[in-house]
Amino acid sequence: MISEFLSYSIVPLLSALAIPFLGRKNEKITEILANVTILAGLINIGYILFNPSNHRNQYSTFTQDGFTLLMIFTIYLVAMCVVFFSTRMNDRKIDKNSYYPLIMLSVSAMCSMVMARDFFTLYIFMEALAVTSFALITTDDGRGGIEGALKYFLLTFPASALIIIGLALLMIVSGGFSFEHIQAQIIGAPDFLTFLALSLILLGFLIKSGMVPFHFWTPDAYQGSYSPVSAYLAGIVTKISGVYAIIRLSMFFKLFDDKAYKASEMLLLIGFASIAWGAIAAMRQKDFKRMLAFSSISQLGYILMGAGTFTTLGIIAAIFHLFNHATFKTTLFLNSASLEKNAGTTDMKKLGGMEHNMPVTSWTSIIALFSTAGVPPLSGFWSKIMIIIALWMTGSEFYAAAALIFSIVTLAYFMIMQKKIFFGKANPEFAHVKEVDFTLLSPVLLMSAIIIAAGVFFPYVYDYLANTIATRMVI
Amino acid sequence: MEPTSLLKTAVFLPLLGAFLIPVSNLMSKEIRNSFSVILGVMTFLSTALLIPVMLNNPGFSIGARFPLGFDLILTADMLSVFMAAISSFVSMIILIYSVDYISHYENQTEYYTMVVLFLGSMMGLVFSSNLIWMYTFWELTGFASWRLVGFFRSEKDVLKANKTILVTIFGALCMLIGILMIYFENGSLDMRVLRGDTVSMLPAVLILVGILAKSATLPFSTWLPDAGVAPATVTSLLHAAVLVKIGIYAYARIFGVTLVAPESFSQGVTLLAGLSALVSAGAAFVETDIKRIIAYSTVSQLAFIFLGLASGNKVAFAGGLLYILMHSMAKGGLFLCAGIIEQKTRVKDITKMGGLFRTMPITAVSFALCSLSVMGIPPFGGFFSKFLVFKGAVESGNLLVLVIFLVGAVMTLLYLTRLFYLVFLGNAKENAPLEGSPAMVASVAFLAIAGIALGLAIYYPFDYVTVISTQLGVNLQ
Repeated sequence: MISEFLSYSIVPLLSALAIPFLGRKNEKITEILANVTILAGLINIGYILFNPSNHRNQYSTFTQDGFTLLMIFTIYLVAMCVVFFSTRMNDRKIDKNSYYPLIMLSVSAMCSMVMARDFFTLYIFMEALAVTSFALITTDDGRGGIEGALKYFLLTFPASALIIIGLALLMIVSGGFSFEHIQAQIIGAPDFLTFLALSLILLGFLIKSGMVPFHFWTPDAYQGSYSPVSAYLAGIVTKISGVYAIIRLSMFFKLFDDKAYKASEMLLLIGFASIAWGAIAAMRQKDFKRMLAFSSISQLGYILMGAGTFTTLGIIAAIFHLFNHATFKTTLFLNSASLEKNAGTTDMKKLGGMEHNMPVTSWTSIIALFSTAGVPPLSGFWSKIMIIIALWMTGSEFYAAAALIFSIVTLAYFMIMQKKIFFGKANPEFAHVKEVDFTLLSPVLLMSAIIIAAGVFFPYVYDYLANTIATRMVI
Repeated sequence: MEPTSLLKTAVFLPLLGAFLIPVSNLMSKEIRNSFSVILGVMTFLSTALLIPVMLNNPGFSIGARFPLGFDLILTADMLSVFMAAISSFVSMIILIYSVDYISHYENQTEYYTMVVLFLGSMMGLVFSSNLIWMYTFWELTGFASWRLVGFFRSEKDVLKANKTILVTIFGALCMLIGILMIYFENGSLDMRVLRGDTVSMLPAVLILVGILAKSATLPFSTWLPDAGVAPATVTSLLHAAVLVKIGIYAYARIFGVTLVAPESFSQGVTLLAGLSALVSAGAAFVETDIKRIIAYSTVSQLAFIFLGLASGNKVAFAGGLLYILMHSMAKGGLFLCAGIIEQKTRVKDITKMGGLFRTMPITAVSFALCSLSVMGIPPFGGFFSKFLVFKGAVESGNLLVLVIFLVGAVMTLLYLTRLFYLVFLGNAKENAPLEGSPAMVASVAFLAIAGIALGLAIYYPFDYVTVISTQLGVNLQ
């Protein structure tokens, strides 16, 4: 663990412990405490990342891994949007004294996970995160969320078993789990057993992250759970619990050089299958949230393909796409939450003509969907083109071209969505629906601003990625 | 003003100004309308002021560094300034015309924002000399046109808007693959560096797919009539006069003055263009919807421009460039006339019109003048451009293509005569409508007169395009 940043996981943990006691009489205190905790963390990490002097010095003063810092920032950013949105949404059905502590706990678990410097710690916190996720999915009981949670629960056992076996093997071969140990082991004597151990761990995380063909729990979980929770799960939780570890592992596979080409091929294949299957399935969905869930699977495919190249460019592209995915998917899920709050449904067959009722929601979802489809100059375009270039440079021209062409399918299903929900013929049943108030819009406006800014100021983002991650890969 | 600041103004003023239009709407509608028109006028002025600079300056660039060779480079040279001046001029006229035309519809703020954003991305596309930024602005124009085509928001309109964006973005993605192939084969995306390099067949064809999709040439031609009919005339105009020209410009920029494509590639393009000219002229013959006829006519005329640019000699290339200028003026005028007619008569079917000459004389005369220019009758500007294209094509000597295009030219003459006869002559129907509002009629009259004026003063534009084709053209005989 990186001890100097420990406060990012300890403060929310303390907050989670304090909330049930302090907020027992007055739920307002619960909400204020949750918001303040996350906001303080966000400002703190934001100050570290965006301090202009860091950019002037080419980030040479950074002693820590830029990947970890960027992930902490993303975790706090998404958590802030979700927590703020939930407080303003003010749903009576939710037990606030268990909901907010759960969010705090999962923030704490995620931060610990990304700060871990060895695979064992990482695994422990991943399990802790999984437990809080089950609880969060079932916050809004009586819906399909329980089915998703159960499916996830059943899938995690084989995944955990694989990871544990891999860890045990790693212990036998190299005598430790820490990143330094493994790195030294691979550089010193890249043997088959280390490779096997890492592959088993990788397979476990592939199952956990919901890639095709292990994807069937995600649509149920996202569609069935309380809307801000879907945003939280899709935006960050499932990405940290699965994809973060995969990118981290790919940094080690990169050290094997050409010997890992089979693993690379496998990742590219799974990545492409996820892109294709997710995109095609998304076209057939009738429910906005379910469509977003499939879109999420499809976008994960791009991240996996970037990481699966095992090249520096591919890995930083995957990290950038992970960040972008957090921004645009959170925006879209929060918009679906706004729709559910004010129109009462996310069923695309019933909705129509909402752009007059909810103009801001309509425009922010346009920005987010164009970024997802990789339309320049939004942030999603740059990360996607970096992934494509990385694929091309490793000689996978076919995958590069096919992944690019699947952007048109992404655009197509979002066009269907936009047409049915926002443009189409107005349903008189929803004529009274008003835009949600400004405080509910502020998280999506913030996210949209980040999507545009990360695209327009791409050179700065690239500098950060190149100087803090690419040049000091692994440790 | 310094030339570099003129260039910056031309690109960034409309691009950033577009996002201030919703803000200006908060003050009042009048401020918003005049702000939009001012943005259009300023953009045109800054490009127009660049023309004299270009006459004794080989061109200059400004730029910002981006990683991985994705630098944003804006280059002003004779070709880009020529194209920018034409499209900003037409857009300026559209904005002036819109103030009246659009005043009784919903979503006006979005309309102005999108038109100005479109203008800004058009400027960005024309001036950028990095292929990836050309692609970026290409997609932005696609986005703006998506919103504009779907302006009326009925089920049908939105469907056609989606068709437009999906076809053009599919093309754009193919083009992006082609661009990436060039990036890996030639090692750069900067067109100043790439100038004179050869490009192999596959990337050239992939880029061509993008160009054909955007400029609505066979086999991607169907979206233009669809898109041009559903929404306001003004949007159709954007398509017929500006949007489709993006494809033409990209062809001139990439294959005319930068990369050398294989010989058989250019021949394929001329043949494809010939087929496109014939098929769409035939379609224009049988259609009865006034705007669909003009839209098909655009598809057919674009093929002539492709013929000029792909023939591979200087005369034809200069003719193709001149054609862009003349066609923008004339087709802009025709669409705006159609807009007046549609607004006043409330029908689009030409068989239900007739005798409008008596009640709408100025519109009728403007329509006739613009048609004559499109047909290519001397002394209108359209004659000279068509003549030069044919002269150049004869020199490069593919007889089959030439015959196809001659037939196409004759058909142009026939369907436009038919259109004019059915709409303006013949028996007047009951309660014939009156002339449109002064600003609208003035816009069309101005475009019609510009068509003759350019024909009479053909020396100046001809001189300019000749210099472009001799100085910038690569691999032209």
